Amino acid sequence: MRACFAFAWLLLAVANVYAGESPLRFEWLKVVAFAAHQTDYSGVYVYQYGSHVETSRITHVVEPDSEYEKIESLDGPKREIIRHHGQIWCYINHKMVQVDSQQGRSRFPSLLPEQLVALSENYLVKDVGLERVAGYNTQVILFQPRDNLRYSYKIWVHTDSGLLLKTAALGEKNQLIEQYAFAQLQIGGNIDRSWIGAKDLGGAGLSVSPEADKGDIAINSGWVVDALPAGFKKIREFQRPMRGRHAPVMQIVFSDGLSAISIFVEPADGDESEADGLSSFGAMNLYHKVLSKQLITVVGEAPPYVVKQVLDSVRYKGK
Amino acid sequence: MKQEISALMDGELFEDEAESLLVHIKRDSGARKDWEIYHLIGDVLRQPEHIHSDLSTKVRERMQDEPTVLVPRARAAKQKLRTFALSAAASLSALGVVVWMSLQVGHEVAPLMVARQTALRSVSTQIQPKPNDYLMAHQEFSPSTYMNGGASYIRTVSYGPDEK
Repeated sequence: MRACFAFAWLLLAVANVYAGESPLRFEWLKVVAFAAHQTDYSGVYVYQYGSHVETSRITHVVEPDSEYEKIESLDGPKREIIRHHGQIWCYINHKMVQVDSQQGRSRFPSLLPEQLVALSENYLVKDVGLERVAGYNTQVILFQPRDNLRYSYKIWVHTDSGLLLKTAALGEKNQLIEQYAFAQLQIGGNIDRSWIGAKDLGGAGLSVSPEADKGDIAINSGWVVDALPAGFKKIREFQRPMRGRHAPVMQIVFSDGLSAISIFVEPADGDESEADGLSSFGAMNLYHKVLSKQLITVVGEAPPYVVKQVLDSVRYKGK
Repeated sequence: MKQEISALMDGELFEDEAESLLVHIKRDSGARKDWEIYHLIGDVLRQPEHIHSDLSTKVRERMQDEPTVLVPRARAAKQKLRTFALSAAASLSALGVVVWMSLQVGHEVAPLMVARQTALRSVSTQIQPKPNDYLMAHQEFSPSTYMNGGASYIRTVSYGPDEK
Protein backbone atom coordinates (compact mmCIF):
# COMPACT_ATOMS: atom_id res chain seq x y z
CA MET A 1 0.00 0.00 0.00
CA ARG A 2 2.74 2.34 0.95
CA ALA A 3 4.64 1.61 -2.19
CA CYS A 4 1.51 2.36 -4.14
CA PHE A 5 1.34 5.86 -2.72
CA ALA A 6 4.97 6.44 -3.18
CA PHE A 7 4.40 5.55 -6.78
CA ALA A 8 1.44 7.87 -7.05
CA TRP A 9 3.51 10.65 -5.57
CA LEU A 10 6.28 9.96 -8.04
CA LEU A 11 3.83 10.06 -10.92
CA LEU A 12 2.51 13.36 -9.72
CA ALA A 13 5.94 14.75 -9.24
CA VAL A 14 6.79 13.81 -12.79
CA ALA A 15 3.53 15.20 -14.05
CA ASN A 16 4.29 18.40 -12.20
CA VAL A 17 7.03 19.20 -14.64
CA TYR A 18 4.81 18.96 -17.67
CA ALA A 19 1.28 19.69 -16.59
CA GLY A 20 -0.43 22.94 -15.66
CA GLU A 21 -0.83 24.02 -12.07
CA SER A 22 -4.29 23.47 -10.67
CA PRO A 23 -5.50 20.10 -11.96
CA LEU A 24 -2.42 18.53 -10.51
CA ARG A 25 -3.11 19.75 -7.00
CA PHE A 26 -6.50 18.16 -7.22
CA GLU A 27 -5.02 14.85 -8.25
CA TRP A 28 -2.92 15.29 -5.17
CA LEU A 29 -5.97 15.74 -3.03
CA LYS A 30 -7.29 12.42 -4.26
CA VAL A 31 -4.12 10.82 -3.03
CA VAL A 32 -4.53 12.60 0.29
CA ALA A 33 -8.15 11.56 0.64
CA PHE A 34 -7.31 8.00 -0.24
CA ALA A 35 -4.30 7.80 2.03
CA ALA A 36 -6.25 8.73 5.14
CA HIS A 37 -8.47 5.69 4.65
CA GLN A 38 -6.03 3.16 3.29
CA THR A 39 -3.01 3.56 5.53
CA ASP A 40 -2.26 2.03 8.92
CA TYR A 41 -0.93 4.62 11.30
CA SER A 42 -0.73 5.48 14.96
CA GLY A 43 0.39 8.69 16.54
CA VAL A 44 -0.15 11.61 18.85
CA TYR A 45 -1.54 14.84 17.54
CA VAL A 46 -2.11 18.24 19.02
CA TYR A 47 -5.25 20.24 18.34
CA GLN A 48 -5.02 23.90 19.04
CA TYR A 49 -7.26 26.93 18.80
CA GLY A 50 -6.75 30.24 20.50
CA SER A 51 -4.91 29.49 23.70
CA HIS A 52 -6.56 26.09 23.94
CA VAL A 53 -4.43 23.00 23.35
CA GLU A 54 -5.51 19.36 23.36
CA THR A 55 -3.49 16.24 22.81
CA SER A 56 -4.95 13.00 21.50
CA ARG A 57 -3.73 9.66 20.32
CA ILE A 58 -5.11 8.31 17.06
CA THR A 59 -4.81 4.75 15.82
CA HIS A 60 -6.05 3.89 12.37
CA VAL A 61 -5.93 0.37 10.93
CA VAL A 62 -7.33 -1.16 7.79
CA GLU A 63 -8.82 -4.62 8.19
CA PRO A 64 -10.16 -6.77 5.36
CA ASP A 65 -13.74 -5.83 6.24
CA SER A 66 -13.25 -2.12 6.82
CA GLU A 67 -11.18 0.51 8.55
CA TYR A 68 -11.08 1.07 12.29
CA GLU A 69 -10.08 4.26 14.00
CA LYS A 70 -9.61 4.97 17.66
CA ILE A 71 -8.99 8.37 19.17
CA GLU A 72 -8.23 8.87 22.84
CA SER A 73 -7.79 12.17 24.59
CA LEU A 74 -4.54 12.32 26.52
CA ASP A 75 -5.40 15.31 28.67
CA GLY A 76 -8.48 16.27 30.64
CA PRO A 77 -11.28 13.79 31.30
CA LYS A 78 -11.02 10.48 29.50
CA ARG A 79 -12.62 10.61 26.11
CA GLU A 80 -12.46 7.93 23.50
CA ILE A 81 -14.00 7.56 20.09
CA ILE A 82 -14.06 4.57 17.81
CA ARG A 83 -15.08 4.86 14.20
CA HIS A 84 -15.85 1.82 12.18
CA HIS A 85 -17.89 1.28 9.07
CA GLY A 86 -19.17 4.83 9.11
CA GLN A 87 -20.38 4.48 12.66
CA ILE A 88 -19.12 6.38 15.66
CA TRP A 89 -18.91 5.15 19.22
CA CYS A 90 -18.01 7.30 22.18
CA TYR A 91 -16.69 6.14 25.50
CA ILE A 92 -19.19 7.71 27.86
CA ASN A 93 -19.72 6.71 31.49
CA HIS A 94 -17.48 3.66 31.22
CA LYS A 95 -19.15 2.16 28.18
CA MET A 96 -19.04 2.60 24.46
CA VAL A 97 -22.18 4.22 23.13
CA GLN A 98 -23.03 4.61 19.52
CA VAL A 99 -23.65 8.27 18.96
CA ASP A 100 -23.93 8.61 15.26
CA SER A 101 -24.23 6.64 12.10
CA GLN A 102 -22.84 7.71 8.81
CA GLN A 103 -23.66 4.48 7.13
CA GLY A 104 -24.45 4.75 3.47
CA ARG A 105 -23.38 8.34 3.29
CA SER A 106 -20.74 9.33 0.85
CA ARG A 107 -17.16 9.60 1.92
CA PHE A 108 -14.50 11.98 0.79
CA PRO A 109 -13.20 10.14 -2.28
CA SER A 110 -16.64 9.71 -3.74
CA LEU A 111 -17.44 13.36 -3.05
CA LEU A 112 -14.52 14.45 -5.09
CA PRO A 113 -15.77 15.27 -8.61
CA GLU A 114 -18.13 18.04 -7.54
CA GLN A 115 -15.79 19.05 -4.75
CA LEU A 116 -12.93 19.61 -7.13
CA VAL A 117 -14.95 21.95 -9.30
CA ALA A 118 -16.14 23.86 -6.24
CA LEU A 119 -12.60 24.00 -4.87
CA SER A 120 -11.11 25.58 -7.96
CA GLU A 121 -13.92 28.11 -8.15
CA ASN A 122 -13.54 29.25 -4.58
CA TYR A 123 -9.90 28.80 -3.68
CA LEU A 124 -6.52 29.40 -5.25
CA VAL A 125 -4.43 26.32 -4.64
CA LYS A 126 -0.77 27.04 -4.09
CA ASP A 127 2.32 24.99 -3.54
CA VAL A 128 4.07 26.57 -0.58
CA GLY A 129 7.10 24.32 -0.37
CA LEU A 130 8.50 21.51 1.71
CA GLU A 131 8.49 21.36 5.50
CA ARG A 132 9.21 18.79 8.15
CA VAL A 133 6.42 17.66 10.49
CA ALA A 134 6.73 15.00 13.21
CA GLY A 135 9.98 13.92 11.63
CA TYR A 136 8.56 13.41 8.15
CA ASN A 137 8.99 15.43 5.01
CA THR A 138 5.81 17.10 3.89
CA GLN A 139 4.54 19.07 0.95
CA VAL A 140 2.73 22.21 2.06
CA ILE A 141 -0.36 23.24 0.11
CA LEU A 142 -2.28 26.45 0.68
CA PHE A 143 -5.93 26.95 -0.22
CA GLN A 144 -6.39 30.68 -0.48
CA PRO A 145 -10.00 31.85 -0.69
CA ARG A 146 -10.93 34.33 -3.39
CA ASP A 147 -12.86 36.47 -0.90
CA ASN A 148 -12.77 37.17 2.85
CA LEU A 149 -15.91 35.19 3.58
CA ARG A 150 -14.10 31.96 4.40
CA TYR A 151 -10.94 30.79 6.07
CA SER A 152 -7.85 29.77 4.18
CA TYR A 153 -6.50 26.32 4.79
CA LYS A 154 -2.99 25.04 4.81
CA ILE A 155 -2.22 21.33 4.69
CA TRP A 156 1.01 19.48 5.21
CA VAL A 157 1.01 16.23 3.27
CA HIS A 158 3.49 13.42 3.88
CA THR A 159 5.36 13.10 0.61
CA ASP A 160 5.60 9.30 0.76
CA SER A 161 2.20 8.18 2.03
CA GLY A 162 -0.01 11.14 1.20
CA LEU A 163 -1.16 11.31 4.83
CA LEU A 164 -2.09 14.67 6.26
CA LEU A 165 0.35 15.40 9.05
CA LYS A 166 -0.84 18.89 9.82
CA THR A 167 -3.74 21.13 8.87
CA ALA A 168 -4.39 24.72 9.77
CA ALA A 169 -7.28 27.09 9.23
CA LEU A 170 -6.19 30.69 8.88
CA GLY A 171 -8.19 33.88 9.23
CA GLU A 172 -8.29 36.99 7.13
CA LYS A 173 -5.04 38.37 8.52
CA ASN A 174 -3.39 34.98 8.30
CA GLN A 175 -3.91 34.44 12.00
CA LEU A 176 -4.21 30.87 13.14
CA ILE A 177 -7.81 29.86 13.81
CA GLU A 178 -7.19 26.22 14.56
CA GLN A 179 -4.59 23.61 13.86
CA TYR A 180 -4.12 19.87 13.96
CA ALA A 181 -0.58 18.61 13.95
CA PHE A 182 1.02 15.27 14.58
CA ALA A 183 3.73 15.44 17.19
CA GLN A 184 4.66 11.79 16.79
CA LEU A 185 3.55 9.32 14.16
CA GLN A 186 4.18 5.77 13.09
CA ILE A 187 3.11 4.90 9.57
CA GLY A 188 2.61 1.22 8.80
CA GLY A 189 4.49 -1.46 10.65
CA ASN A 190 3.35 -3.14 13.84
CA ILE A 191 0.33 -1.23 15.13
CA ASP A 192 -1.75 -2.29 18.12
CA ARG A 193 -5.00 -3.92 17.00
CA SER A 194 -6.02 -5.47 20.29
CA TRP A 195 -8.86 -2.98 20.75
CA ILE A 196 -10.62 -4.13 17.60
CA GLY A 197 -13.29 -6.75 18.05
CA ALA A 198 -16.47 -7.78 19.76
CA LYS A 199 -15.24 -6.75 23.17
CA ASP A 200 -15.65 -3.11 22.32
CA LEU A 201 -18.10 -2.93 19.51
CA GLY A 202 -21.36 -4.82 19.51
CA GLY A 203 -20.43 -6.56 22.75
CA ALA A 204 -22.17 -6.41 26.11
CA GLY A 205 -20.91 -2.96 26.91
CA LEU A 206 -22.43 -1.43 23.84
CA SER A 207 -25.84 0.11 23.89
CA VAL A 208 -27.04 1.28 20.53
CA SER A 209 -29.13 4.37 20.74
CA PRO A 210 -32.55 3.97 19.11
CA GLU A 211 -32.06 6.60 16.46
CA ALA A 212 -28.94 4.95 15.10
CA ASP A 213 -30.75 2.75 12.65
CA LYS A 214 -33.29 5.21 11.39
CA GLY A 215 -32.53 6.64 8.03
CA ASP A 216 -32.65 10.21 6.91
CA ILE A 217 -35.45 11.43 4.70
CA ALA A 218 -34.55 13.79 1.89
CA ILE A 219 -37.18 16.48 1.48
CA ASN A 220 -37.79 19.97 0.24
CA SER A 221 -38.40 21.93 3.41
CA GLY A 222 -39.29 25.29 1.91
CA TRP A 223 -36.59 27.01 3.94
CA VAL A 224 -34.12 29.09 1.96
CA VAL A 225 -30.98 31.11 2.64
CA ASP A 226 -30.44 34.34 0.73
CA ALA A 227 -27.01 35.47 1.89
CA LEU A 228 -24.66 32.53 1.43
CA PRO A 229 -21.12 33.41 0.37
CA ALA A 230 -20.54 32.81 -3.35
CA GLY A 231 -19.72 29.24 -4.26
CA PHE A 232 -21.62 27.52 -1.47
CA LYS A 233 -23.86 24.93 -3.09
CA LYS A 234 -26.53 22.85 -1.47
CA ILE A 235 -25.25 19.31 -1.06
CA ARG A 236 -28.05 17.93 1.07
CA GLU A 237 -31.46 18.76 2.48
CA PHE A 238 -33.11 16.19 4.70
CA GLN A 239 -34.86 15.42 7.95
CA ARG A 240 -32.82 13.69 10.59
CA PRO A 241 -33.40 12.30 14.03
CA MET A 242 -31.38 14.02 16.72
CA ARG A 243 -30.50 13.02 20.22
CA GLY A 244 -32.79 14.56 22.82
CA ARG A 245 -35.28 15.91 20.29
CA HIS A 246 -38.85 14.69 19.95
CA ALA A 247 -39.37 15.96 16.42
CA PRO A 248 -37.03 15.32 13.52
CA VAL A 249 -34.67 18.17 12.71
CA MET A 250 -34.34 19.69 9.24
CA GLN A 251 -30.77 19.96 8.06
CA ILE A 252 -29.63 21.76 4.95
CA VAL A 253 -25.92 21.54 4.11
CA PHE A 254 -24.05 23.88 1.80
CA SER A 255 -20.41 23.48 0.82
CA ASP A 256 -17.80 25.32 -1.19
CA GLY A 257 -15.57 22.27 -1.48
CA LEU A 258 -13.55 22.76 1.70
CA SER A 259 -15.85 24.42 4.20
CA ALA A 260 -19.47 23.66 4.89
CA ILE A 261 -22.38 25.51 6.45
CA SER A 262 -25.33 23.63 7.93
CA ILE A 263 -28.71 25.10 8.72
CA PHE A 264 -30.90 23.28 11.26
CA VAL A 265 -34.58 24.05 11.63
CA GLU A 266 -36.78 22.57 14.33
CA PRO A 267 -39.82 23.61 16.35
CA ALA A 268 -38.86 25.92 19.19
CA ASP A 269 -40.50 24.57 22.31
CA GLY A 270 -38.68 26.28 25.09
CA ASP A 271 -37.63 29.59 26.49
CA GLU A 272 -37.03 31.39 23.25
CA SER A 273 -35.16 34.39 24.51
CA GLU A 274 -32.34 32.12 25.66
CA ALA A 275 -31.68 30.72 22.22
CA ASP A 276 -29.89 33.60 20.55
CA GLY A 277 -26.17 33.82 20.49
CA LEU A 278 -22.85 32.72 19.15
CA SER A 279 -20.74 29.77 20.15
CA SER A 280 -17.33 29.20 18.68
CA PHE A 281 -15.26 26.03 18.49
CA GLY A 282 -12.03 26.55 16.66
CA ALA A 283 -12.92 27.13 13.04
CA MET A 284 -16.55 26.20 13.62
CA ASN A 285 -19.01 28.86 14.60
CA LEU A 286 -22.59 28.30 15.69
CA TYR A 287 -25.48 30.74 15.89
CA HIS A 288 -28.99 30.16 17.21
CA LYS A 289 -32.12 32.19 16.81
CA VAL A 290 -35.87 31.73 16.92
CA LEU A 291 -37.84 32.70 13.84
CA SER A 292 -41.61 32.23 13.58
CA LYS A 293 -41.63 29.62 16.35
CA GLN A 294 -38.78 27.67 14.76
CA LEU A 295 -35.36 27.35 16.30
CA ILE A 296 -32.84 28.06 13.56
CA THR A 297 -29.24 26.97 14.10
CA VAL A 298 -26.41 27.70 11.72
CA VAL A 299 -23.08 25.88 12.06
CA GLY A 300 -20.16 26.34 9.74
CA GLU A 301 -16.42 26.53 9.26
CA ALA A 302 -16.64 30.18 8.41
CA PRO A 303 -15.85 33.45 10.19
CA PRO A 304 -18.44 34.40 12.83
CA TYR A 305 -19.80 37.34 10.82
CA VAL A 306 -20.47 35.08 7.85
CA VAL A 307 -22.33 32.53 9.99
CA LYS A 308 -24.34 35.39 11.49
CA GLN A 309 -25.10 36.81 8.06
CA VAL A 310 -26.29 33.39 6.89
CA LEU A 311 -28.50 33.01 9.95
CA ASP A 312 -30.05 36.43 9.40
CA SER A 313 -30.95 35.57 5.83
CA VAL A 314 -32.73 32.29 6.57
CA ARG A 315 -36.43 32.51 5.72
CA TYR A 316 -39.38 30.31 4.96
CA LYS A 317 -40.26 30.58 1.31
CA GLY A 318 -42.94 27.92 1.18
CA LYS A 319 -42.90 24.71 -0.74
CA MET B 1 12.04 57.71 34.56
CA LYS B 2 10.03 54.95 32.92
CA GLN B 3 12.92 52.55 33.25
CA GLU B 4 13.24 53.33 36.92
CA ILE B 5 9.54 52.77 37.49
CA SER B 6 9.76 49.47 35.67
CA ALA B 7 12.77 48.50 37.78
CA LEU B 8 10.92 49.46 40.93
CA MET B 9 8.01 47.23 39.97
CA ASP B 10 10.38 44.37 39.34
CA GLY B 11 11.96 44.95 42.77
CA GLU B 12 15.31 45.77 41.24
CA LEU B 13 15.93 49.08 42.99
CA PHE B 14 17.84 49.60 46.19
CA GLU B 15 15.85 50.83 49.15
CA ASP B 16 17.03 54.42 49.02
CA GLU B 17 16.54 54.60 45.25
CA ALA B 18 13.03 53.20 45.62
CA GLU B 19 12.21 55.68 48.34
CA SER B 20 13.23 58.72 46.35
CA LEU B 21 11.43 57.41 43.30
CA LEU B 22 8.24 56.88 45.30
CA VAL B 23 8.44 60.43 46.56
CA HIS B 24 8.84 61.58 42.99
CA ILE B 25 5.85 59.54 41.84
CA LYS B 26 3.74 61.10 44.56
CA ARG B 27 4.58 64.59 43.34
CA ASP B 28 4.69 64.11 39.56
CA SER B 29 1.38 63.23 37.97
CA GLY B 30 3.11 62.06 34.78
CA ALA B 31 5.15 59.55 36.72
CA ARG B 32 2.05 58.46 38.58
CA LYS B 33 0.30 57.78 35.28
CA ASP B 34 3.23 55.70 34.12
CA TRP B 35 3.12 53.82 37.38
CA GLU B 36 -0.59 53.03 36.91
CA ILE B 37 -0.18 52.07 33.29
CA TYR B 38 2.67 49.71 34.08
CA HIS B 39 0.61 48.02 36.73
CA LEU B 40 -2.33 47.71 34.41
CA ILE B 41 -0.17 46.18 31.71
CA GLY B 42 1.23 43.76 34.26
CA ASP B 43 -2.27 42.77 35.37
CA VAL B 44 -3.41 42.27 31.82
CA LEU B 45 -0.40 40.17 30.95
CA ARG B 46 -0.84 38.00 34.02
CA GLN B 47 -4.56 37.49 33.50
CA PRO B 48 -5.18 37.40 29.77
CA GLU B 49 -8.66 35.94 30.25
CA HIS B 50 -9.87 39.27 31.54
CA ILE B 51 -8.74 41.39 28.67
CA HIS B 52 -11.86 40.78 26.61
CA SER B 53 -13.93 43.29 28.53
CA ASP B 54 -14.37 46.24 26.26
CA LEU B 55 -13.46 48.94 28.68
CA SER B 56 -14.01 51.88 26.36
CA THR B 57 -17.66 50.91 25.88
CA LYS B 58 -18.11 50.44 29.59
CA VAL B 59 -16.57 53.79 30.23
CA ARG B 60 -18.91 55.43 27.76
CA GLU B 61 -21.89 53.73 29.38
CA ARG B 62 -20.78 54.69 32.84
CA MET B 63 -20.28 58.26 31.73
CA GLN B 64 -23.78 58.37 30.33
CA ASP B 65 -25.12 56.89 33.54
CA GLU B 66 -23.40 59.48 35.65
CA PRO B 67 -26.03 61.45 37.53
CA THR B 68 -26.43 65.14 36.84
CA VAL B 69 -23.50 66.75 38.54
CA LEU B 70 -24.47 68.74 41.62
CA VAL B 71 -22.33 71.67 42.53
CA PRO B 72 -20.79 70.41 45.79
CA ARG B 73 -19.76 67.15 44.15
CA ALA B 74 -18.45 68.59 40.92
CA ARG B 75 -14.85 68.13 41.79
CA ALA B 76 -15.19 64.50 42.80
CA ALA B 77 -17.13 63.57 39.66
CA LYS B 78 -14.56 65.21 37.46
CA GLN B 79 -11.78 63.36 39.16
CA LYS B 80 -13.60 60.07 38.63
CA LEU B 81 -14.02 60.69 34.93
CA ARG B 82 -10.38 61.41 34.54
CA THR B 83 -9.44 58.17 36.22
CA PHE B 84 -11.76 56.20 34.00
CA ALA B 85 -10.47 57.81 30.86
CA LEU B 86 -6.92 57.15 31.90
CA SER B 87 -7.43 53.51 32.67
CA ALA B 88 -9.30 53.09 29.43
CA ALA B 89 -6.44 54.53 27.46
CA ALA B 90 -3.94 52.45 29.33
CA SER B 91 -5.87 49.27 28.87
CA LEU B 92 -6.22 49.87 25.16
CA SER B 93 -2.50 50.22 24.76
CA ALA B 94 -1.95 47.18 26.94
CA LEU B 95 -4.47 45.28 24.88
CA GLY B 96 -2.44 46.13 21.82
CA VAL B 97 0.62 44.56 23.38
CA VAL B 98 -1.25 41.43 24.38
CA VAL B 99 -2.92 41.05 21.01
CA TRP B 100 0.41 41.40 19.34
CA MET B 101 1.95 38.86 21.70
CA SER B 102 -0.82 36.35 21.19
CA LEU B 103 -0.87 36.63 17.43
CA GLN B 104 1.22 33.51 17.32
CA VAL B 105 -1.56 31.48 18.86
CA GLY B 106 -4.22 33.34 16.95
CA HIS B 107 -6.40 34.83 19.63
CA GLU B 108 -9.94 35.06 18.32
CA VAL B 109 -12.46 37.40 19.79
CA ALA B 110 -15.24 34.92 19.28
CA PRO B 111 -14.35 32.29 21.90
CA LEU B 112 -14.01 35.01 24.47
CA MET B 113 -17.44 36.32 23.59
CA VAL B 114 -18.74 32.83 24.01
CA ALA B 115 -17.20 32.40 27.38
CA ARG B 116 -18.94 35.55 28.44
CA GLN B 117 -22.26 34.52 27.00
CA THR B 118 -22.29 31.11 28.59
CA ALA B 119 -21.54 32.68 31.89
CA LEU B 120 -24.46 35.01 31.52
CA ARG B 121 -26.90 32.59 30.02
CA SER B 122 -29.16 31.07 32.62
CA VAL B 123 -29.89 27.39 32.56
CA SER B 124 -32.81 26.61 30.33
CA THR B 125 -33.50 22.93 30.04
CA GLN B 126 -35.89 23.12 27.11
CA ILE B 127 -33.76 24.44 24.30
CA GLN B 128 -30.55 24.91 26.16
CA PRO B 129 -28.36 24.64 23.09
CA LYS B 130 -26.33 21.47 23.02
CA PRO B 131 -23.87 22.68 20.49
CA ASN B 132 -21.98 19.44 20.21
CA ASP B 133 -25.02 17.66 18.77
CA TYR B 134 -25.24 20.24 16.03
CA LEU B 135 -21.52 20.23 15.51
CA MET B 136 -21.45 16.47 15.09
CA ALA B 137 -24.42 16.56 12.75
CA HIS B 138 -22.67 19.24 10.75
CA GLN B 139 -19.32 17.51 10.67
CA GLU B 140 -20.73 14.44 8.99
CA PHE B 141 -21.02 16.45 5.82
CA SER B 142 -18.20 18.89 6.17
CA PRO B 143 -15.30 18.34 3.79
CA SER B 144 -12.93 19.38 6.57
CA THR B 145 -13.99 16.25 8.43
CA TYR B 146 -13.00 14.14 5.49
CA MET B 147 -9.65 15.81 5.60
CA ASN B 148 -9.06 15.51 9.31
CA GLY B 149 -10.84 12.21 9.70
CA GLY B 150 -11.97 11.36 13.19
CA ALA B 151 -9.67 13.99 14.61
CA SER B 152 -12.41 16.55 14.32
CA TYR B 153 -14.78 14.37 16.30
CA ILE B 154 -12.72 14.28 19.45
CA ARG B 155 -12.93 18.01 19.73
CA THR B 156 -16.69 17.80 19.45
CA VAL B 157 -16.79 15.21 22.17
CA SER B 158 -14.51 17.28 24.27
CA TYR B 159 -17.24 19.89 24.48
CA GLY B 160 -19.75 17.49 25.88
CA PRO B 161 -18.42 15.97 29.10
CA ASP B 162 -21.84 16.60 30.62
CA GLU B 163 -23.56 14.29 28.17
CA LYS B 164 -25.04 11.12 29.55
